[in-house]
Amino acid sequence: MLNPISQTLKSPLRKKQASLALLFLSPWIIGFIVFGIYPMVMSFYYSLCRYDVLRIPQFIGWLNYQELIFDDPYFWQSIWNTLYFTAFRTPLSIIGSLLLAVLVNSALRGMRIFRTIYFVPSIVTGVALSVLWMWMLNPQYGLVNNALAFFGIPGPLWLQSPDWSKPAMVLMNLWSIGGGRMLVFLAALQSIPNSLYESVDIDGGGWWHKFYYITIPMLSPVIFLWTILDVIFSLQVFTEAYVMTKGGPLNSTLFYNLYLYFKAFDDYSMGYASAMAWILLIITLLITLIQFRLGKRWVHYN
Amino acid sequence: MLKNLLKKAAFSFLTIVTFWFLFGYSPSKKIPDDGKKHIQLWIITGQKEEIPYSVRMFNTVQDSIVIDLTAIPWQEHEKKILTAILSGNPPDLVSQFIPVAQWAARLALTPIDDFIQTDQFDTTVFFPALWQEMKWKGQTFALPWKTASYAFFYNNGLFKEAGLDPSKPPKTWSDVIEYSKKLVRRDEQGRLEQMGFIADYGVLPGHGDMPTSILIAWQLGAQFLSADGSKVSITNAATVKGLEWVVNFNRSYDTKELSAFISGFGYAEQHAFLSNKVAMMCLQNTFIEHINLYRPNMDYTVCPIPSFEGSTTVSSSGSWWLGIPRGARHSKSAWEFMKFAVGEKTQIEESLEMEEPLFPANHLAANDPAFIKDEKTRVFVKQMELSHSPAVVPLTHGVFWREYTMARERAVRGLQTPLEALEQAEKQVQLELDKAVRYDNYVRREIRFESRSNNFSN
Repeated sequence: MLNPISQTLKSPLRKKQASLALLFLSPWIIGFIVFGIYPMVMSFYYSLCRYDVLRIPQFIGWLNYQELIFDDPYFWQSIWNTLYFTAFRTPLSIIGSLLLAVLVNSALRGMRIFRTIYFVPSIVTGVALSVLWMWMLNPQYGLVNNALAFFGIPGPLWLQSPDWSKPAMVLMNLWSIGGGRMLVFLAALQSIPNSLYESVDIDGGGWWHKFYYITIPMLSPVIFLWTILDVIFSLQVFTEAYVMTKGGPLNSTLFYNLYLYFKAFDDYSMGYASAMAWILLIITLLITLIQFRLGKRWVHYN
Repeated sequence: MLKNLLKKAAFSFLTIVTFWFLFGYSPSKKIPDDGKKHIQLWIITGQKEEIPYSVRMFNTVQDSIVIDLTAIPWQEHEKKILTAILSGNPPDLVSQFIPVAQWAARLALTPIDDFIQTDQFDTTVFFPALWQEMKWKGQTFALPWKTASYAFFYNNGLFKEAGLDPSKPPKTWSDVIEYSKKLVRRDEQGRLEQMGFIADYGVLPGHGDMPTSILIAWQLGAQFLSADGSKVSITNAATVKGLEWVVNFNRSYDTKELSAFISGFGYAEQHAFLSNKVAMMCLQNTFIEHINLYRPNMDYTVCPIPSFEGSTTVSSSGSWWLGIPRGARHSKSAWEFMKFAVGEKTQIEESLEMEEPLFPANHLAANDPAFIKDEKTRVFVKQMELSHSPAVVPLTHGVFWREYTMARERAVRGLQTPLEALEQAEKQVQLELDKAVRYDNYVRREIRFESRSNNFSN
């Protein structure tokens, strides 16, 4: 028996259409092969080599992976830093922006101004944001510590302290990404039909029941999407640490991608860096798979 | 039929354009047809773009070669040059400051020994620290162009306030401790307001300066690499002692207090030395221009870096160099410019007119009365003669300095003793060096094999 595709291709009209389709798709297909598939294949090959861009690669098998896992203390430290960052940033950013969305969803006067104000930080780009927060978090002259001092709290050293540098970065991230997510949650909130809330009123439920039994389940696909995306973004954290701390103090902000960058573009150990990239891909895939498994339990699609 | 033809034509056109964009396109260098040789020179720019004196002069004093200058931004320089070499379309000449040996080991540069021999070029005109940086595996790959060195700065005003005599510079490290005690000032709440000397300036990113601990290590004769280049030594007695001195010096302050104080340092007028926050510092000669710009009436002195009793002062000078990338087309003409650029007269004029004056690499030029116009310059030139190159482990230069900086941080914060911290650093650097050496040996073997089978002669 012939399969349906070859059958359809038999007709001359179909053939013509198929080649036309290919023609129109070709910019994407060529782009995908040249800038997507080819670099991935090559980076996998280089991950099995010593390679510094200018010289020929030396094939060394799995040695890069072996060194990373067994001999490189910074590799494990960077994994720990990155997971720490992800574990705090993802839930806090989702809870924070969800609450913000609920707040700005209320029909008060001038609410549009508040929405704008909360949204503005998400327009600021990474480097500018980092430089701004370097001064915000300055232990002596920074706004944050001065505000804390006003309430009589001695502020920490933030970026100069190995214990506070990661929380400092989570904090500035919440400020910068909260607004954008708030907007998405807000749109989702406004698409929840009022009749559902009315049914809670009829059953005699309060605001908590509305929030817990209507809002959360109705928003769960959006929350799920952001959980997945945010974990992926968090695992790739780079700019803040590169601009503000270069991985210090005491390697407390040496995130995975920052270490990868140092290996690739300071030391030109491209093979080693490629191996790191593949390990990150596997970690990301694993975490995402687990999330999809768990997601089945709590995500409600209408 | 015609329609079909048109379609086919359109398809081929699209395909060709796509492939041309992807693989064939290279920005063509517009070389004017004036019968002269055009040399591409890539230099790194700072904040201001200035055409170096040597380039301007070279283009006017002779008529057969033209230097086409391209200024590449600071952040991108290394990647840009490496990609250019890789694409087979490199400039004829580059100016860089990262260890020559590392570039040479990567086969990024063309050896210039033949030129030196043919022209009987005198290589003893350079400062020794700079010249030894230019070699790798017995071959020479570049000429030193410009440099900078460190000396000891102190604030005369703060000295007087503290009851010290500004005409008596600290000569030994014990003097520095002594003076520092008198120069510390705190506000009513007991917060640090002013320090005498700062030993670990550079712990913070963006403030990277030569660590005092390394200067001390050199003064005590530290050797970081074995003669054959295979063994790293960071736990030698001199280096350990250097770090111990810094750790002990910092003991008189609380780590947290010190971190908070340093975090208030800024740039320009807010620089720790200019804003009276630190009274004594090891700084580079370019800093004089910085002071002229931001605090022109400041009263300060430049003196040699202190040493221990019985040891001599040292400084650190890395070289900006000129080299010919692998695959460059006009190496002979590029060499003509290199010779011109490091000539005595060119070097003096060039240094004098620079925005942030670097030093001539040619020590005849640096010692010329036309260059030494004041006492401060004299001190710096003397420091230059006693300089060490920071490229102590050139093959793994980046790893060495990263590991050393982290070890120092661990020791200063009291997580490890200086010896433990340096042991950890040594282990990591050795690991990387072994890898680099193995890779280098492999590449050399392969190239030799290839050239034998292709019957190449070099």
